[in-house]
Amino acid sequence: MHDPMLDEVPPEEQWQVDLGEVGLFRRILNGRRWYGVDWWMVVISSFMVAFFILIAFFPTILASYDPLDQVGPRFLPPGETPDQEVIVQRTDSDLESLADLAVRDERVRTGVVQGAPSSEDIRSQADRVNAELEAGGSDDEVRLRIVRFDTLDEMLTGVTTGDVEFGVGSNAEITAVLDDYPELFIRGPITGEKGGKSFPLGTNQIGQDVLSRLAWGSRIALIIGFTASLFSLFIGVPLGLLAGYTGGKFDRVFTLIMDSLYAFPGLILAIAIAAVLGPSIINVIVAIAVLYIPTYYRIVRGQTLSTKEGLHVEAAVSIGATKSSIMRRYIFPLVIPSVAIIFSVNIADAILTGAALSFLGLGLPPTTADWGIDLARGQEFIQRAWWLITFPGIAVMLIVLAFTMLGEGLMEIFNPKLRKQ
Amino acid sequence: MTAETLYSIRNLTVEYDTRIGGVRAVDDLTLDIYKGEILGLVGESGCGKSTLGKGMMRTITTPGHIVGGELWFEGVDLMTLSELEMSNIRGNRIGMVFQDPMTSLNPLMRISEHLIEAIRTHYPRMSEDAARARAVDMVKDLGIREERIDDYPHQFSGGMRQRIMIALVLALNAALIIADEPTTALDVIVEAQFLDLLRSLREEFELTILLITHNIGVVAELADRVAVMYAGKAAEVGPVESVFLDTKHPYSRGLLKSVPNIDVDDQELFKMTGAPPNLIAPPSGCRFHPRCPRAVDLCTDDEPPLIDVTGDGHLASCWIYSDLPNRPTDGVG
Repeated sequence: MHDPMLDEVPPEEQWQVDLGEVGLFRRILNGRRWYGVDWWMVVISSFMVAFFILIAFFPTILASYDPLDQVGPRFLPPGETPDQEVIVQRTDSDLESLADLAVRDERVRTGVVQGAPSSEDIRSQADRVNAELEAGGSDDEVRLRIVRFDTLDEMLTGVTTGDVEFGVGSNAEITAVLDDYPELFIRGPITGEKGGKSFPLGTNQIGQDVLSRLAWGSRIALIIGFTASLFSLFIGVPLGLLAGYTGGKFDRVFTLIMDSLYAFPGLILAIAIAAVLGPSIINVIVAIAVLYIPTYYRIVRGQTLSTKEGLHVEAAVSIGATKSSIMRRYIFPLVIPSVAIIFSVNIADAILTGAALSFLGLGLPPTTADWGIDLARGQEFIQRAWWLITFPGIAVMLIVLAFTMLGEGLMEIFNPKLRKQ
Repeated sequence: MTAETLYSIRNLTVEYDTRIGGVRAVDDLTLDIYKGEILGLVGESGCGKSTLGKGMMRTITTPGHIVGGELWFEGVDLMTLSELEMSNIRGNRIGMVFQDPMTSLNPLMRISEHLIEAIRTHYPRMSEDAARARAVDMVKDLGIREERIDDYPHQFSGGMRQRIMIALVLALNAALIIADEPTTALDVIVEAQFLDLLRSLREEFELTILLITHNIGVVAELADRVAVMYAGKAAEVGPVESVFLDTKHPYSRGLLKSVPNIDVDDQELFKMTGAPPNLIAPPSGCRFHPRCPRAVDLCTDDEPPLIDVTGDGHLASCWIYSDLPNRPTDGVG
């Protein structure tokens, strides 16, 4: 009974045929040729999104310090190395680090400049070394005799003459005059670490590393963006599906509720909810999720209304499929592409709203490493330290741009017919 | 008629709510479908053919609803069943084939999934493999190669999709198939093949088919009996030869004359005057009277009953065949 004449191909444009048969990757790659999609938007934004997700999972790739600790001087501009306290000694000295002093029996004469911060720090460094030695099970102990000089020159002269074993002082000041003392050289920082600390994006008003806070802040931003969007998706989509398919009173009541939520200016509503709930990350997520439930609800309900008129739904009814099976298998899969697109754009929105909330001091506990909080705090010092708000600002902009571009790009690929001709 | 009645529609009324009133798409319609026959249901667009088909399955959705009537099928009045019991009958005992095969399959489900879903909806205890085996049998019977069963609907042509729709119905043991303009979207060659298929399936599976169409030629070719609908009512019902060769109702006569025919020498096709009535406010009396060349006062005032004109099941709803003194006269043409 098989007749090849029945197998004629329905008349469709070639790209429509192709579209139906290929996967997402080939759509992205061939999109430009087939229907002029801007695939580079998807590629670039995918890389940006992947980068932010990577940083959020492993902030230590970028962040060398604890974002909440004071790790350097205050207001250090980006790229500059902070002043360090260094050990200066004679070239013929066998001293390698503070720990070498422990084997000596007598107190070691140490030169410091009266009133300089190093005069205090050398004691705490000695204590640190002693604590390490004790933990290592050694009986040795570093004992210093601090000799105070009035000026740096006097101190350096003292080191040269052997009056003191070594001197401690600011790296920048010693380097400036070191040429006058040919017998001396700088051994290294008193902390014993090789190389100094570096702060590529500077430090903030309380000596925290801006880059580290940025890296850890991306984790907060993505947690808020993803969970808030997922939360509203998991509530909005089933409600929209149910309301669109069943119609009637259920539909009317929920559409009324969602429309009233939608009628509020978004940020105002989020501020109100966050203010009532109090500062915590969960509350920020709830506030933002409530804000975006209507977006999903409206899209899904509208799509369901048009999909359920489709003949294939009617056919499913006529073979006796149950309501839940029709919603699950005949309507939901046709609605999901538009949900995926809103989801991406929605994450961008949620991140922005989250940053706005913490900028206003309503969202997160003030100790959190968050871009919004950094922006809010940094604006006080905008004339003195431009880097405090510039970098968190750029980070917010980039992450929002990445997710929005991804969403828009996917929209073109999933739904080329929507594209403006 | 000695044949056994399979599905009996009694006084079915279906109404669509609109802002300016209810539209009675099917109005107090009574019709019997006999076991094993192909009944052709013809009429112009908007006369309620498709609504009747959906009404018989109780799948009319808002704003439409069934106002009243009885639907007797296999000894049960379907109107008294719960929604759950009804969905058990849908597909299982009564199947439906739709007008547009291009859109009546879920574009995201494979052909095999459609068939397996249909089978397992009604036989939940059947294993996936058994359902698949049955689906493969079905599809092979309908002349589609087995390896194509895992394709998606868009990879099928219109004729193939329509055969899949039939397979969906046949995969279960449906007694009655309601085919709602099944060939409208197909070209003539595929249409002919499809009608052949329907005919042979009827023999093979002892099916009863209600063929809803506005294509009179298809009915003449395929049907045993024909029902002509006008404005939500049955105008004429009878065996196909009798209705086509000895047409009783003035509307049916007009309808048949307006079909293009190569044998008729007339240069111009017959055009019926007027337009189908507004079903929100249908005409009084006989609904056809404003367009009827034979109408008299009686037609304006009273609605004619379905009268058995010939005594062998050829019914017509026209006063001409009553024995009232003021009845209209039956002229020729």
